[in-house]
Amino acid sequence: MKLAILGAGPGGYVAAIKAAQLGAQVTVIEDTEVGGTCLNRGCIPTKSFLTSSELLAKTRELDNYGIELRGEIVPNLSKILERNKKVVATQVKGIRSLFKNWGITLKEGRGELISPSEIKVTLKDGSEEKIEPDRIIIATGSRPARIPTLPFDGGKIISSDEAIEPTEIPKSLLIVGAGAIGCEFACIYASLGTDITMVEMLPRVLPLEDPEISELFTRELKKKKIKAYTGVKVEKVDIRSDGIHAVLSNATEIVADKVLVSVGRALNSDGIGVEALGIIKSPRGEIIINEKMETNIPCIYAIGDVVGGFLFAHVASAEGKIAAKNIMGGNEKIDYGAIPYAVFTSPEIASVGLREQQATEKGIKVRTGYLQFRALGKAHAMGETTGFVKLVADATSDRLLGAHIIGPHASDLIHEATLALKAGLRIKDIAETIHSHPSLSEGLMEAAEDAHSEAIHAIRRQG
Amino acid sequence: MNPDDLRYHREHTWVRVTGKKATIGITDYAQDALGEIVYVDLPEVDIHVEANSEVGEIESTKATSSIISPVSGRIVEVNEELTETPEIINEDPYGKGWIASLDIEDITELDDLMDSSEYEKYIEEEAK
Repeated sequence: MKLAILGAGPGGYVAAIKAAQLGAQVTVIEDTEVGGTCLNRGCIPTKSFLTSSELLAKTRELDNYGIELRGEIVPNLSKILERNKKVVATQVKGIRSLFKNWGITLKEGRGELISPSEIKVTLKDGSEEKIEPDRIIIATGSRPARIPTLPFDGGKIISSDEAIEPTEIPKSLLIVGAGAIGCEFACIYASLGTDITMVEMLPRVLPLEDPEISELFTRELKKKKIKAYTGVKVEKVDIRSDGIHAVLSNATEIVADKVLVSVGRALNSDGIGVEALGIIKSPRGEIIINEKMETNIPCIYAIGDVVGGFLFAHVASAEGKIAAKNIMGGNEKIDYGAIPYAVFTSPEIASVGLREQQATEKGIKVRTGYLQFRALGKAHAMGETTGFVKLVADATSDRLLGAHIIGPHASDLIHEATLALKAGLRIKDIAETIHSHPSLSEGLMEAAEDAHSEAIHAIRRQG
Repeated sequence: MNPDDLRYHREHTWVRVTGKKATIGITDYAQDALGEIVYVDLPEVDIHVEANSEVGEIESTKATSSIISPVSGRIVEVNEELTETPEIINEDPYGKGWIASLDIEDITELDDLMDSSEYEKYIEEEAK
Protein backbone atom coordinates (compact mmCIF):
# COMPACT_ATOMS: atom_id res chain seq x y z
CA MET A 1 0.00 0.00 0.00
CA LYS A 2 1.46 3.32 -1.12
CA LEU A 3 0.05 6.23 0.86
CA ALA A 4 0.70 9.94 0.25
CA ILE A 5 -0.25 12.55 2.80
CA LEU A 6 -0.57 16.27 2.07
CA GLY A 7 0.58 18.08 5.19
CA ALA A 8 2.73 17.05 8.15
CA GLY A 9 0.82 18.74 10.97
CA PRO A 10 -0.59 16.84 13.96
CA GLY A 11 -3.09 15.22 11.59
CA GLY A 12 -0.75 14.26 8.78
CA TYR A 13 2.30 13.18 10.72
CA VAL A 14 0.31 11.01 13.13
CA ALA A 15 -1.53 9.40 10.21
CA ALA A 16 1.85 8.78 8.53
CA ILE A 17 3.33 7.02 11.54
CA LYS A 18 0.18 4.98 12.21
CA ALA A 19 0.00 3.85 8.56
CA ALA A 20 3.71 3.00 8.53
CA GLN A 21 3.25 0.97 11.72
CA LEU A 22 0.54 -0.96 9.89
CA GLY A 23 2.87 -1.62 6.95
CA ALA A 24 2.17 1.15 4.47
CA GLN A 25 4.82 2.78 2.33
CA VAL A 26 4.27 6.43 3.23
CA THR A 27 5.26 9.71 1.57
CA VAL A 28 4.47 12.99 3.34
CA ILE A 29 4.46 16.29 1.46
CA GLU A 30 4.97 19.43 3.54
CA ASP A 31 5.77 22.92 2.30
CA THR A 32 6.80 24.54 5.60
CA GLU A 33 7.93 22.34 8.47
CA VAL A 34 6.85 19.05 10.03
CA GLY A 35 4.57 19.58 13.00
CA GLY A 36 2.40 22.10 11.15
CA THR A 37 0.73 25.08 12.77
CA CYS A 38 0.48 23.33 16.13
CA LEU A 39 4.16 22.78 16.59
CA ASN A 40 5.62 25.70 14.65
CA ARG A 41 3.15 28.55 15.06
CA GLY A 42 0.49 27.38 17.52
CA CYS A 43 0.11 25.13 20.54
CA ILE A 44 3.74 24.54 21.40
CA PRO A 45 5.47 27.92 20.94
CA THR A 46 2.54 29.75 22.56
CA LYS A 47 2.76 27.49 25.61
CA SER A 48 6.48 28.05 25.80
CA PHE A 49 5.92 31.81 25.50
CA LEU A 50 3.17 31.62 28.13
CA THR A 51 5.47 29.76 30.52
CA SER A 52 7.93 32.66 30.40
CA SER A 53 5.20 35.25 30.83
CA GLU A 54 3.57 33.38 33.73
CA LEU A 55 6.92 32.97 35.45
CA LEU A 56 7.41 36.69 35.08
CA ALA A 57 4.00 37.37 36.65
CA LYS A 58 4.69 34.89 39.45
CA THR A 59 8.12 36.37 40.12
CA ARG A 60 6.50 39.75 40.63
CA GLU A 61 4.55 38.18 43.50
CA LEU A 62 7.52 36.45 45.11
CA ASP A 63 6.90 38.55 48.18
CA ASN A 64 3.64 36.67 48.79
CA TYR A 65 5.60 33.43 48.99
CA GLY A 66 8.15 34.70 51.47
CA ILE A 67 10.93 35.15 48.97
CA GLU A 68 12.88 38.37 48.82
CA LEU A 69 14.26 39.54 45.55
CA ARG A 70 17.17 41.92 45.71
CA GLY A 71 17.27 43.21 42.19
CA GLU A 72 15.08 43.88 39.21
CA ILE A 73 13.02 41.49 37.12
CA VAL A 74 13.32 42.24 33.43
CA PRO A 75 11.98 40.12 30.58
CA ASN A 76 14.53 39.58 27.81
CA LEU A 77 12.49 39.10 24.66
CA SER A 78 15.23 37.68 22.48
CA LYS A 79 16.07 35.06 25.09
CA ILE A 80 12.42 34.17 25.56
CA LEU A 81 12.04 33.71 21.80
CA GLU A 82 15.26 31.74 21.64
CA ARG A 83 13.86 29.35 24.23
CA ASN A 84 10.58 29.05 22.31
CA LYS A 85 12.53 28.15 19.18
CA LYS A 86 14.57 25.57 21.03
CA VAL A 87 11.43 23.91 22.37
CA VAL A 88 9.97 23.80 18.85
CA ALA A 89 13.24 22.59 17.29
CA THR A 90 13.44 19.64 19.70
CA GLN A 91 9.93 18.54 18.77
CA VAL A 92 10.53 19.02 15.03
CA LYS A 93 13.65 16.90 15.29
CA GLY A 94 11.65 14.28 17.14
CA ILE A 95 9.07 14.01 14.34
CA ARG A 96 11.78 13.91 11.68
CA SER A 97 13.55 11.08 13.43
CA LEU A 98 10.26 9.17 13.87
CA PHE A 99 9.78 9.51 10.12
CA LYS A 100 13.24 8.06 9.52
CA ASN A 101 12.59 5.36 12.06
CA TRP A 102 9.41 4.23 10.29
CA GLY A 103 10.85 4.66 6.77
CA ILE A 104 8.52 7.54 5.92
CA THR A 105 9.63 9.69 2.98
CA LEU A 106 9.34 13.44 3.53
CA LYS A 107 9.01 15.59 0.40
CA GLU A 108 9.60 19.22 1.30
CA GLY A 109 7.50 21.12 -1.14
CA ARG A 110 3.96 21.89 -2.17
CA GLY A 111 1.65 19.12 -3.30
CA GLU A 112 -1.26 19.33 -5.70
CA LEU A 113 -3.72 16.58 -6.53
CA ILE A 114 -3.78 15.75 -10.23
CA SER A 115 -5.90 12.60 -10.08
CA PRO A 116 -6.94 10.17 -7.33
CA SER A 117 -3.64 8.41 -7.91
CA GLU A 118 -1.32 11.24 -8.85
CA ILE A 119 0.21 14.15 -6.92
CA LYS A 120 2.46 16.83 -8.37
CA VAL A 121 5.03 18.07 -5.88
CA THR A 122 6.79 21.39 -6.38
CA LEU A 123 9.93 21.09 -4.32
CA LYS A 124 11.54 24.01 -2.53
CA ASP A 125 14.19 24.36 -5.26
CA GLY A 126 11.44 24.79 -7.86
CA SER A 127 11.81 21.36 -9.45
CA GLU A 128 8.74 19.18 -9.90
CA GLU A 129 8.16 15.58 -9.04
CA LYS A 130 5.29 13.19 -9.52
CA ILE A 131 4.06 10.73 -6.89
CA GLU A 132 1.67 7.90 -7.70
CA PRO A 133 0.08 6.64 -4.52
CA ASP A 134 -2.73 4.13 -3.98
CA ARG A 135 -4.36 6.26 -1.33
CA ILE A 136 -4.21 9.97 -0.41
CA ILE A 137 -4.90 11.79 2.86
CA ILE A 138 -5.49 15.55 2.69
CA ALA A 139 -4.28 17.15 5.93
CA THR A 140 -3.49 20.68 4.84
CA GLY A 141 -4.80 22.44 7.95
CA SER A 142 -5.77 26.07 8.35
CA ARG A 143 -4.38 29.58 8.60
CA PRO A 144 -5.42 32.78 10.40
CA ALA A 145 -8.69 34.16 8.99
CA ARG A 146 -8.61 37.65 7.51
CA ILE A 147 -11.13 40.44 7.77
CA PRO A 148 -11.38 43.05 5.00
CA THR A 149 -11.15 46.09 7.29
CA LEU A 150 -7.92 44.77 8.82
CA PRO A 151 -5.71 43.21 6.14
CA PHE A 152 -2.58 41.58 7.53
CA ASP A 153 0.60 43.48 6.68
CA GLY A 154 3.01 41.51 8.82
CA GLY A 155 4.11 44.61 10.71
CA LYS A 156 1.32 46.72 12.19
CA ILE A 157 -1.64 44.47 11.53
CA ILE A 158 -0.64 40.97 12.48
CA SER A 159 -1.96 37.47 13.01
CA SER A 160 -0.99 34.87 15.59
CA ASP A 161 1.81 33.82 13.18
CA GLU A 162 3.62 37.11 13.88
CA ALA A 163 2.45 37.51 17.49
CA ILE A 164 4.35 34.36 18.38
CA GLU A 165 7.61 35.85 17.09
CA PRO A 166 7.50 39.56 17.85
CA THR A 167 10.44 41.79 16.97
CA GLU A 168 9.79 43.85 20.09
CA ILE A 169 7.31 44.03 22.95
CA PRO A 170 4.69 46.50 21.71
CA LYS A 171 3.73 49.30 24.09
CA SER A 172 0.11 48.85 23.15
CA LEU A 173 -1.83 46.19 21.33
CA LEU A 174 -5.39 46.06 20.05
CA ILE A 175 -6.66 42.49 19.86
CA VAL A 176 -9.62 41.98 17.57
CA GLY A 177 -11.48 38.82 18.56
CA ALA A 178 -11.62 37.64 22.18
CA GLY A 179 -11.75 33.92 21.49
CA ALA A 180 -9.14 31.42 22.65
CA ILE A 181 -6.24 32.76 20.56
CA GLY A 182 -6.93 36.42 21.33
CA CYS A 183 -7.26 35.76 25.07
CA GLU A 184 -4.08 33.65 25.20
CA PHE A 185 -2.03 36.39 23.58
CA ALA A 186 -3.70 39.02 25.78
CA CYS A 187 -2.41 37.15 28.86
CA ILE A 188 1.08 36.68 27.43
CA TYR A 189 1.55 40.29 26.33
CA ALA A 190 -0.09 41.81 29.41
CA SER A 191 2.50 40.28 31.69
CA LEU A 192 5.27 41.49 29.36
CA GLY A 193 3.96 44.99 29.99
CA THR A 194 1.90 45.68 26.88
CA ASP A 195 -1.17 47.85 27.30
CA ILE A 196 -3.99 45.75 25.82
CA THR A 197 -7.44 46.49 24.51
CA MET A 198 -9.66 43.68 23.24
CA VAL A 199 -12.64 43.98 20.95
CA GLU A 200 -15.18 41.18 20.58
CA MET A 201 -18.16 41.26 18.25
CA LEU A 202 -20.18 38.80 20.37
CA PRO A 203 -21.66 39.83 23.73
CA ARG A 204 -18.92 38.32 25.94
CA VAL A 205 -15.27 37.34 25.95
CA LEU A 206 -14.64 33.65 25.20
CA PRO A 207 -18.17 33.55 23.75
CA LEU A 208 -18.12 29.80 23.19
CA GLU A 209 -17.40 28.92 26.83
CA ASP A 210 -19.81 28.45 29.70
CA PRO A 211 -21.14 31.95 30.60
CA GLU A 212 -19.86 31.63 34.17
CA ILE A 213 -16.37 30.99 32.81
CA SER A 214 -16.61 34.10 30.61
CA GLU A 215 -17.76 36.11 33.61
CA LEU A 216 -14.89 34.99 35.82
CA PHE A 217 -12.36 35.45 33.03
CA THR A 218 -13.67 38.97 32.40
CA ARG A 219 -12.80 39.79 36.00
CA GLU A 220 -9.35 38.25 35.52
CA LEU A 221 -8.85 40.52 32.49
CA LYS A 222 -9.67 43.52 34.68
CA LYS A 223 -7.09 42.37 37.22
CA LYS A 224 -4.54 42.31 34.43
CA LYS A 225 -5.74 45.79 33.43
CA ILE A 226 -6.84 44.54 30.04
CA LYS A 227 -9.73 46.52 28.64
CA ALA A 228 -12.31 44.40 26.81
CA TYR A 229 -15.12 45.80 24.69
CA THR A 230 -17.81 43.25 23.87
CA GLY A 231 -20.70 43.41 21.45
CA VAL A 232 -18.79 45.88 19.30
CA LYS A 233 -17.02 45.78 15.96
CA VAL A 234 -14.06 47.61 14.53
CA GLU A 235 -15.57 50.01 11.99
CA LYS A 236 -12.57 51.81 10.59
CA VAL A 237 -8.83 51.60 10.86
CA ASP A 238 -6.32 54.25 10.03
CA ILE A 239 -2.56 53.73 10.17
CA ARG A 240 -0.92 56.99 11.26
CA SER A 241 2.54 57.94 12.43
CA ASP A 242 1.58 57.75 16.12
CA GLY A 243 0.00 54.31 15.74
CA ILE A 244 -3.09 52.60 14.47
CA HIS A 245 -6.32 54.43 15.09
CA ALA A 246 -9.32 52.15 15.28
CA VAL A 247 -12.87 53.38 15.54
CA LEU A 248 -15.31 50.97 17.14
CA SER A 249 -19.03 50.65 16.48
CA ASN A 250 -19.68 52.24 19.90
CA ALA A 251 -17.74 55.32 18.64
CA THR A 252 -14.76 54.67 20.92
CA GLU A 253 -11.42 55.43 19.31
CA ILE A 254 -8.45 53.27 20.24
CA VAL A 255 -4.85 54.04 19.40
CA ALA A 256 -2.40 51.14 19.48
CA ASP A 257 1.08 50.28 18.20
CA LYS A 258 -0.16 47.06 16.68
CA VAL A 259 -3.35 45.19 15.94
CA LEU A 260 -3.62 41.44 16.38
CA VAL A 261 -6.48 39.97 14.39
CA SER A 262 -7.65 36.72 15.98
CA VAL A 263 -11.08 36.11 14.53
CA GLY A 264 -10.77 32.43 13.72
CA ARG A 265 -9.13 30.20 11.14
CA ALA A 266 -9.49 29.88 7.37
CA LEU A 267 -9.19 26.38 5.93
CA ASN A 268 -6.42 25.39 3.51
CA SER A 269 -8.57 23.61 0.95
CA ASP A 270 -7.72 25.90 -1.97
CA GLY A 271 -4.91 25.53 -4.49
CA ILE A 272 -4.37 21.82 -3.88
CA GLY A 273 -6.46 20.48 -6.73
CA VAL A 274 -9.51 19.54 -4.68
CA GLU A 275 -11.99 21.24 -7.04
CA ALA A 276 -10.63 19.69 -10.24
CA LEU A 277 -11.07 16.23 -8.77
CA GLY A 278 -14.64 16.95 -7.75
CA ILE A 279 -14.04 16.56 -4.02
CA ILE A 280 -17.05 18.08 -2.27
CA LYS A 281 -16.48 21.10 -0.01
CA SER A 282 -18.86 23.13 2.13
CA PRO A 283 -19.31 26.85 1.39
CA ARG A 284 -16.86 27.52 4.24
CA GLY A 285 -14.25 25.43 2.46
CA GLU A 286 -14.48 22.35 4.68
CA ILE A 287 -13.76 19.13 2.83
CA ILE A 288 -16.78 16.93 3.44
CA ILE A 289 -15.99 13.51 4.90
CA ASN A 290 -17.83 10.61 6.47
CA GLU A 291 -17.16 8.99 9.86
CA LYS A 292 -14.39 6.92 8.28
CA MET A 293 -12.61 10.07 7.05
CA GLU A 294 -13.40 9.28 3.41
CA THR A 295 -14.18 12.06 0.95
CA ASN A 296 -16.70 11.48 -1.85
CA ILE A 297 -13.84 10.40 -4.15
CA PRO A 298 -12.70 6.81 -3.58
CA CYS A 299 -9.17 6.43 -2.19
CA ILE A 300 -9.02 10.08 -1.01
CA TYR A 301 -9.33 10.80 2.70
CA ALA A 302 -9.24 14.10 4.59
CA ILE A 303 -8.51 14.89 8.25
CA GLY A 304 -7.80 17.76 10.63
CA ASP A 305 -8.69 21.44 10.39
CA VAL A 306 -9.39 21.19 6.64
CA VAL A 307 -12.49 19.07 7.38
CA GLY A 308 -13.82 21.69 9.82
CA GLY A 309 -15.63 20.78 13.02
CA PHE A 310 -13.30 20.89 16.01
CA LEU A 311 -10.11 22.70 14.97
CA PHE A 312 -7.88 21.02 17.52
CA ALA A 313 -4.54 19.29 17.05
CA HIS A 314 -5.69 16.31 19.10
CA VAL A 315 -8.81 15.88 16.98
CA ALA A 316 -6.66 15.99 13.83
CA SER A 317 -4.44 13.28 15.32
CA ALA A 318 -7.43 11.12 16.27
CA GLU A 319 -8.84 11.51 12.76
CA GLY A 320 -5.42 10.73 11.30
CA LYS A 321 -5.26 7.43 13.17
CA ILE A 322 -8.76 6.49 11.99
CA ALA A 323 -7.91 7.32 8.37
CA ALA A 324 -4.65 5.35 8.52
CA LYS A 325 -6.33 2.29 10.02
CA ASN A 326 -9.13 2.37 7.46
CA ILE A 327 -6.65 2.71 4.62
CA MET A 328 -4.86 -0.36 5.96
CA GLY A 329 -8.02 -2.44 5.89
CA GLY A 330 -9.74 -1.35 9.08
CA ASN A 331 -13.32 -0.29 9.52
CA GLU A 332 -13.13 2.41 12.16
CA LYS A 333 -15.38 5.36 12.84
CA ILE A 334 -14.55 8.56 14.63
CA ASP A 335 -16.29 9.28 17.95
CA TYR A 336 -16.60 13.00 18.68
CA GLY A 337 -18.48 12.33 21.93
CA ALA A 338 -15.76 13.21 24.42
CA ILE A 339 -13.35 15.81 23.08
CA PRO A 340 -11.57 17.84 25.70
CA TYR A 341 -9.86 21.12 24.93
CA ALA A 342 -8.09 23.83 26.82
CA VAL A 343 -7.55 27.55 26.52
CA PHE A 344 -4.14 28.46 27.84
CA THR A 345 -4.96 31.74 29.46
CA SER A 346 -4.01 32.52 33.04
CA PRO A 347 -5.86 30.96 34.70
CA GLU A 348 -6.34 28.05 32.30
CA ILE A 349 -9.73 27.02 30.98
CA ALA A 350 -10.71 23.51 29.91
CA SER A 351 -13.89 21.90 28.82
CA VAL A 352 -15.37 18.61 27.64
CA GLY A 353 -18.84 17.59 26.59
CA LEU A 354 -22.03 19.58 26.88
CA ARG A 355 -22.40 22.92 28.57
CA GLU A 356 -25.39 23.37 30.86
CA GLN A 357 -27.28 25.43 28.31
CA GLN A 358 -26.59 23.01 25.45
CA ALA A 359 -27.90 20.12 27.54
CA THR A 360 -31.02 22.07 28.52
CA GLU A 361 -31.63 22.98 24.87
CA LYS A 362 -31.52 19.28 24.04
CA GLY A 363 -34.40 18.82 26.45
CA ILE A 364 -32.32 17.05 29.08
CA LYS A 365 -33.16 17.65 32.73
CA VAL A 366 -29.83 18.81 34.04
CA ARG A 367 -28.14 18.66 37.42
CA THR A 368 -24.97 20.67 37.99
CA GLY A 369 -22.20 20.39 40.53
CA TYR A 370 -19.95 23.31 41.31
CA LEU A 371 -16.85 23.83 43.36
CA GLN A 372 -14.61 26.84 43.73
CA PHE A 373 -10.91 26.12 43.93
CA ARG A 374 -10.71 28.43 46.92
CA ALA A 375 -12.40 25.67 48.92
CA LEU A 376 -9.33 23.46 48.47
CA GLY A 377 -6.27 23.49 50.68
CA LYS A 378 -3.97 22.72 47.78
CA ALA A 379 -5.16 25.78 45.86
CA HIS A 380 -4.36 27.98 48.85
CA ALA A 381 -0.95 26.37 49.29
CA MET A 382 -0.21 27.08 45.64
CA GLY A 383 -1.50 30.63 45.88
CA GLU A 384 -3.96 29.94 43.04
CA THR A 385 -7.45 30.16 44.44
CA THR A 386 -9.24 31.69 41.48
CA GLY A 387 -11.57 29.48 39.50
CA PHE A 388 -14.06 26.66 39.71
CA VAL A 389 -15.09 23.26 38.46
CA LYS A 390 -18.58 22.90 37.02
CA LEU A 391 -19.99 19.49 36.19
CA VAL A 392 -23.11 18.94 34.14
CA ALA A 393 -25.04 15.69 34.55
CA ASP A 394 -28.29 14.17 33.41
CA ALA A 395 -30.56 14.57 36.45
CA THR A 396 -32.42 11.37 35.65
CA SER A 397 -29.60 8.93 34.94
CA ASP A 398 -26.88 10.83 36.85
CA ARG A 399 -24.56 10.35 33.87
CA LEU A 400 -21.90 12.97 33.34
CA LEU A 401 -22.62 15.14 30.28
CA GLY A 402 -19.89 17.74 30.51
CA ALA A 403 -17.21 19.36 32.63
CA HIS A 404 -16.02 22.96 32.54
CA ILE A 405 -13.06 24.17 34.50
CA ILE A 406 -11.34 27.51 34.95
CA GLY A 407 -8.39 27.57 37.28
CA PRO A 408 -4.93 26.18 37.94
CA HIS A 409 -3.98 23.17 35.77
CA ALA A 410 -7.45 23.03 34.19
CA SER A 411 -5.92 21.58 31.01
CA ASP A 412 -4.73 18.51 32.94
CA LEU A 413 -7.68 18.21 35.32
CA ILE A 414 -10.16 17.91 32.46
CA HIS A 415 -9.07 14.38 31.58
CA GLU A 416 -10.62 12.69 34.59
CA ALA A 417 -13.96 14.05 33.41
CA THR A 418 -13.14 13.12 29.81
CA LEU A 419 -12.56 9.50 30.78
CA ALA A 420 -15.77 9.49 32.85
CA LEU A 421 -17.69 10.93 29.92
CA LYS A 422 -16.21 8.45 27.43
CA ALA A 423 -16.97 5.57 29.77
CA GLY A 424 -20.52 6.79 30.42
CA LEU A 425 -19.94 7.07 34.17
CA ARG A 426 -22.33 8.64 36.61
CA ILE A 427 -21.44 11.75 38.53
CA LYS A 428 -21.74 9.59 41.66
CA ASP A 429 -18.84 7.47 40.36
CA ILE A 430 -16.59 10.54 40.45
CA ALA A 431 -17.90 11.53 43.89
CA GLU A 432 -17.26 8.05 45.29
CA THR A 433 -13.75 7.74 43.87
CA ILE A 434 -11.22 8.50 46.56
CA HIS A 435 -9.09 11.44 45.46
CA SER A 436 -5.64 12.08 46.82
CA HIS A 437 -5.25 14.94 49.27
CA PRO A 438 -4.07 17.60 48.87
CA SER A 439 -4.69 17.95 45.17
CA LEU A 440 -6.57 20.12 42.72
CA SER A 441 -8.34 16.99 41.49
CA GLU A 442 -10.32 17.04 44.71
CA GLY A 443 -12.19 19.86 43.00
CA LEU A 444 -13.76 17.34 40.61
CA MET A 445 -14.70 15.01 43.44
CA GLU A 446 -16.27 17.81 45.46
CA ALA A 447 -18.06 19.27 42.44
CA ALA A 448 -19.49 15.78 41.85
CA GLU A 449 -20.55 15.61 45.50
CA ASP A 450 -22.06 19.07 45.19
CA ALA A 451 -24.33 17.86 42.40
CA HIS A 452 -26.08 15.90 45.13
CA SER A 453 -25.52 18.69 47.71
CA GLU A 454 -23.00 16.52 49.48
CA ALA A 455 -19.80 18.53 49.08
CA ILE A 456 -17.80 18.69 52.28
CA HIS A 457 -15.90 21.91 51.66
CA ALA A 458 -18.63 24.02 50.08
CA ILE A 459 -20.96 26.35 51.91
CA ARG A 460 -24.39 24.81 52.47
CA ARG A 461 -26.82 25.73 49.71
CA GLN A 462 -29.71 27.97 50.69
CA GLY A 463 -33.18 26.51 50.84
CA MET B 1 -17.07 48.92 67.06
CA ASN B 2 -19.19 50.17 64.14
CA PRO B 3 -18.92 53.96 63.96
CA ASP B 4 -22.01 55.89 65.03
CA ASP B 5 -21.79 58.51 62.28
CA LEU B 6 -22.42 55.98 59.49
CA ARG B 7 -25.54 54.40 58.04
CA TYR B 8 -25.54 50.69 57.26
CA HIS B 9 -27.08 48.56 54.52
CA ARG B 10 -28.25 45.00 55.06
CA GLU B 11 -25.77 43.84 52.40
CA HIS B 12 -23.01 44.93 54.78
CA THR B 13 -22.01 48.22 53.21
CA TRP B 14 -21.82 51.60 54.94
CA VAL B 15 -22.25 55.20 53.87
CA ARG B 16 -20.84 58.39 55.36
CA VAL B 17 -22.54 61.59 54.22
CA THR B 18 -20.86 65.00 54.32
CA GLY B 19 -22.94 67.61 52.54
CA LYS B 20 -23.83 66.17 49.13
CA LYS B 21 -20.94 63.72 49.14
CA ALA B 22 -21.49 60.13 50.20
CA THR B 23 -18.55 57.81 50.81
CA ILE B 24 -19.21 54.08 50.76
CA GLY B 25 -17.38 50.98 51.90
CA ILE B 26 -17.90 47.51 53.34
CA THR B 27 -18.37 46.85 57.04
CA ASP B 28 -15.95 45.28 59.48
CA TYR B 29 -18.28 42.29 59.73
CA ALA B 30 -18.11 41.87 55.92
CA GLN B 31 -14.34 42.10 55.71
CA ASP B 32 -14.01 39.60 58.56
CA ALA B 33 -16.41 37.18 56.88
CA LEU B 34 -14.61 37.51 53.54
CA GLY B 35 -11.14 37.01 54.95
CA GLU B 36 -8.05 38.17 53.12
CA ILE B 37 -9.19 40.47 50.30
CA VAL B 38 -7.22 40.00 47.10
CA TYR B 39 -9.04 42.09 44.54
CA VAL B 40 -11.60 44.86 44.31
CA ASP B 41 -13.38 45.58 41.06
CA LEU B 42 -14.04 49.29 41.38
CA PRO B 43 -16.79 51.16 39.55
CA GLU B 44 -15.93 53.69 36.87
CA VAL B 45 -15.99 57.35 37.76
CA ASP B 46 -19.02 59.23 36.37
CA ILE B 47 -21.31 56.23 36.10
CA HIS B 48 -24.64 56.37 37.86
CA VAL B 49 -25.53 53.76 40.45
CA GLU B 50 -28.85 52.92 42.03
CA ALA B 51 -29.30 52.15 45.70
CA ASN B 52 -29.43 48.39 46.39
CA SER B 53 -27.62 47.56 43.15
CA GLU B 54 -24.14 46.27 42.48
CA VAL B 55 -21.44 48.93 42.39
CA GLY B 56 -18.45 46.58 42.24
CA GLU B 57 -17.10 43.22 43.24
CA ILE B 58 -14.81 42.12 45.97
CA GLU B 59 -12.77 38.95 45.89
CA SER B 60 -11.13 37.32 48.87
CA THR B 61 -9.32 34.04 49.24
CA LYS B 62 -12.69 32.66 50.42
CA ALA B 63 -15.33 34.16 48.14
CA THR B 64 -16.33 36.68 45.52
CA SER B 65 -19.16 39.03 46.50
CA SER B 66 -21.01 41.95 45.03
CA ILE B 67 -20.61 45.35 46.62
CA ILE B 68 -24.12 46.75 47.00
CA SER B 69 -24.47 50.51 46.99
CA PRO B 70 -26.51 51.78 49.95
CA VAL B 71 -27.48 54.98 48.09
CA SER B 72 -28.08 56.29 44.55
CA GLY B 73 -25.88 58.78 42.79
CA ARG B 74 -23.07 59.52 40.38
CA ILE B 75 -19.63 58.15 41.22
CA VAL B 76 -17.21 61.05 41.68
CA GLU B 77 -14.16 59.25 43.02
CA VAL B 78 -12.92 55.73 43.61
CA ASN B 79 -10.24 54.57 46.01
CA GLU B 80 -7.41 53.82 43.57
CA GLU B 81 -5.26 52.58 46.47
CA LEU B 82 -7.36 49.42 46.46
CA THR B 83 -6.13 48.44 43.01
CA GLU B 84 -2.66 47.68 44.29
CA THR B 85 -3.37 47.09 47.98
CA PRO B 86 -6.89 45.70 48.41
CA GLU B 87 -5.94 44.36 51.85
CA ILE B 88 -6.33 47.84 53.35
CA ILE B 89 -10.05 47.02 53.49
CA ASN B 90 -9.17 44.28 55.99
CA GLU B 91 -7.05 46.67 57.99
CA ASP B 92 -9.26 49.73 58.00
CA PRO B 93 -12.72 49.13 56.49
CA TYR B 94 -14.20 52.41 57.75
CA GLY B 95 -11.22 54.60 56.92
CA LYS B 96 -8.48 53.99 54.37
CA GLY B 97 -10.46 51.06 53.00
CA TRP B 98 -13.30 53.22 51.61
CA ILE B 99 -14.42 52.12 48.15
CA ALA B 100 -15.99 55.04 46.33
CA SER B 101 -17.64 58.36 46.84
CA LEU B 102 -20.66 59.63 45.02
CA ASP B 103 -22.88 62.62 44.63
CA ILE B 104 -25.91 61.61 46.64
CA GLU B 105 -29.23 62.26 44.90
CA ASP B 106 -31.85 61.57 47.45
CA ILE B 107 -30.94 62.16 51.05
CA THR B 108 -34.15 60.41 52.18
CA GLU B 109 -32.63 57.10 51.08
CA LEU B 110 -30.62 57.25 54.28
CA ASP B 111 -33.85 56.67 56.19
CA ASP B 112 -34.03 53.16 54.73
CA LEU B 113 -30.63 52.30 56.23
CA MET B 114 -29.69 51.17 59.71
CA ASP B 115 -27.79 53.07 62.37
CA SER B 116 -24.90 51.39 64.16
CA SER B 117 -26.94 49.82 66.96
CA GLU B 118 -29.57 48.51 64.53
CA TYR B 119 -26.83 47.09 62.35
CA GLU B 120 -25.21 45.37 65.32
CA LYS B 121 -28.51 43.72 66.20
CA TYR B 122 -28.93 42.78 62.56
CA ILE B 123 -25.59 40.97 62.36
CA GLU B 124 -26.23 39.21 65.64
CA GLU B 125 -29.47 37.91 64.15
CA GLU B 126 -27.72 36.90 60.95
CA ALA B 127 -25.08 34.99 62.85
CA LYS B 128 -27.72 32.78 64.48
